[in-house]
Amino acid sequence: MKEHATQWLGTYLDGELRGLRLRWVEGHLQECAVCGSELEALAQLRTLLQESPAIEASTPPEQFVAQVALRLPRRQEQPAARRALELSWRMVPVGLLFTLAFVQTAFTIAGVLQMALSMGLGGEVGALIFPGAGVSLPDVFSLSQASLATAVGSVVELIQAGGALAWLPVLYLSSLVVIGLLYWSWLASWWARRRHQQLMASNNRG
Amino acid sequence: MMEGTASGGKSRPVETELELIKQAQQGDRRAFGQLVRLHREGAVNVVYRMCGDAELAEEAAQEAFIRAWTNLPRYKPRSPFRNWLYRIATNVAVDVLRSQKETVDVEAVEVPDAESGPEVLAEVRERGERVRQAVLALPPASRAVVVLREYEDLSYKEIADTLGIPIGTVMSRLNYARTLLRQTLTPYMEGA
Repeated sequence: MKEHATQWLGTYLDGELRGLRLRWVEGHLQECAVCGSELEALAQLRTLLQESPAIEASTPPEQFVAQVALRLPRRQEQPAARRALELSWRMVPVGLLFTLAFVQTAFTIAGVLQMALSMGLGGEVGALIFPGAGVSLPDVFSLSQASLATAVGSVVELIQAGGALAWLPVLYLSSLVVIGLLYWSWLASWWARRRHQQLMASNNRG
Repeated sequence: MMEGTASGGKSRPVETELELIKQAQQGDRRAFGQLVRLHREGAVNVVYRMCGDAELAEEAAQEAFIRAWTNLPRYKPRSPFRNWLYRIATNVAVDVLRSQKETVDVEAVEVPDAESGPEVLAEVRERGERVRQAVLALPPASRAVVVLREYEDLSYKEIADTLGIPIGTVMSRLNYARTLLRQTLTPYMEGA
């Protein structure tokens, strides 16, 4: 006999062995008297354990329920309101994403409009709204391709040129900063909350 | 309608328990009372097998239900309520064991009546007591696994979920516990 199945016998007895291991133990048990008697001993142990009497509760069920009811603490929050709050809180990143998409779209349209006006497509009205400058909003959008100093310079130049659309880059950048700050704040609060829940869970485990 | 197994071996509709849980999560104390009624026997027995004292077991089971009430809004019915409750009950039992070093109360053992003579009854009583003491002598981590497997008939996966340990650990703790129990109880196993 190459190897005994001792370490698998308890699992086999519990009906928790599957597949190849199960077939191997079954085959082994047909050949190995040692493992057969081990299995019998484990079965006897199980019978002995299960014969041990359960508790005879001294408190009648209704009294037990009443005693528990008396000791139940008041919940701090209404679960329905809490769930609504929880859901809203979880939706914050989605809301921020939508806001970002809206801001991007609005300012892209504004940029296209500004470019059209600066090319003189709007006639006199265009000249009134946008007197003209060497820098356009799309220049500011391409921050990824420019250095910070260049971008700031472009913005300043655009504002100095005046006109109703001149403040668009500032508004655009401010929106991005606010959205970014809100997202990082949410991430920080999510992390802090998760830590708190883990601590609570470990306390409950004792 | 699906059927689920309640503690104590009785069957009841799963939906009913889920509804009770939802209502209790919304603060319905009456619904929670129903849940207590359904799981009282199982919870008391788990704690009793863990700490070995009948009075302490009832008190600790009540404490387990109170903790369950407090944490119920966070309970998600992905795993059965019974398993979640047993996890709390096991933790409460471990707390009780920590605070009460000596928990074995021989006089508190109740042996069911049998139509046997006094000698047989005495033998059954003694065997039951030895088994209880042997289980109590196990390390708490192994004892919890034995109690959930042998007395509450939980599968390995359910035990793993209940105690928050891997299935491999469930198996190794069971093997270890059974080895210890066999060493202690061999003289009584022939008559089992």
